[in-house]
Amino acid sequence: MSYKAQYSPGNTKIAENRRNHMDPDYELKKIREIADEDIVKILGHRNPGEGYKTVHPPLEEMDFELDMMKEMVEPLPGAMQGNRTRYIQFADSMYNAPAQPYDRARTYMWRFRGVDTGTLSGRQVIEIRELDLEKISKTLTETELFDPAKCGIRGATVHGHSLRLDENGLMFDALQRYVYNEETKEISYIKDQVGRPLDEPVNMGEALDDEHLSNITTIYRSDNISMRDDPEAREVVETIHSSRTDGGFGLEVFKDDLKRKIGE
Amino acid sequence: MEPIKAVDIKIFPYRRLKPATTEKILNEIIKLEGILRVLLNGESLPQIVGYGPAKGTRVNHEDRKVIQLKNHDFELSVTVGEIIITILHEKQETFLKKLEDILGNNLSCNFEVSAGIFTKTKITVSDYLKIDRGIEQEIEPTYIGLVDPGSKSKETVRLIGD
Repeated sequence: MSYKAQYSPGNTKIAENRRNHMDPDYELKKIREIADEDIVKILGHRNPGEGYKTVHPPLEEMDFELDMMKEMVEPLPGAMQGNRTRYIQFADSMYNAPAQPYDRARTYMWRFRGVDTGTLSGRQVIEIRELDLEKISKTLTETELFDPAKCGIRGATVHGHSLRLDENGLMFDALQRYVYNEETKEISYIKDQVGRPLDEPVNMGEALDDEHLSNITTIYRSDNISMRDDPEAREVVETIHSSRTDGGFGLEVFKDDLKRKIGE
Repeated sequence: MEPIKAVDIKIFPYRRLKPATTEKILNEIIKLEGILRVLLNGESLPQIVGYGPAKGTRVNHEDRKVIQLKNHDFELSVTVGEIIITILHEKQETFLKKLEDILGNNLSCNFEVSAGIFTKTKITVSDYLKIDRGIEQEIEPTYIGLVDPGSKSKETVRLIGD
């Protein structure tokens, strides 16, 4: 059976943006340039120029003669080399950040192979082999999925997504990993994602302006586009909610099944 | 002690304030008549990293700055999100009028000002511990509602009265 993926329900701009993020055929607009070395610095898993640490020998050298998986699944470049699994974690402000945790989770699953992603209320972690992580991190920070003021690359102490912005429009960060330059109006990272100071700041460019953000965001907000204005999206959420409630409590859903089990 | 009538005025800016802005507006507000005390609320700013591989590293947050009020130095330990000023009830009307002007001239964002009771008014057992004066002694009434549950008042409350 073949079908066309619908990605996400809804008729509003927000829903459209969500679909664009998730659709692997949609090309995310690249809006800034960040050097590979700078990404490595912010991630903080290895020093720039240092080789990748490995947890097992390259797959080629391992004896997997009887393993059927070897034929069935094409390994990732990082897995082929035996890289460690490392992570990047984002926190997205609810003040119209371009992406948000659930959108990120679905986007990652649609777009990237071999990822393990974890969704929390205010942050979204992605775990994958280090070599592949760096490539993915580049895509995630250079494209329209990222805004230096409203999104933060935060490995630990992520708190801030639900707080008011500061006077310069930056999301709260207790560790102040990134700073705003009032003269150039640009934002640069002065610490890596867990809060270790960097030798040199990494410039992430200017923050996107608020009106543009309200057009590209994937967050429903009553002061932008409310979810109440999107009947289709609401209907899907309500259906899932009621099905989960009924299914979870076994109301009606398992009645016949239960009767059969107790012999009625 | 003679009871007095007091009211809390809450300033709620739509953005978290920079230390420079906080210093500026507080210095103007403090000149107004009838102020009993001022409480700065906000998200606390750690001095050292508490979690993760960088645990123990100094944070050096730009918002954790020393501000000057009436020639006294104060180190901000929070990023200011809310200012609660307790004033004499009879001064409320004139105070609010002047306050709106000060805020309108100095804040770059929208704000809300409301009057009511925004601090605790009765003493509880834990106040004795927080205020750190021993359980036998009376608690200074002006301290009630000022204490931060997470720290001792010695570090967070300062008296600069005339």
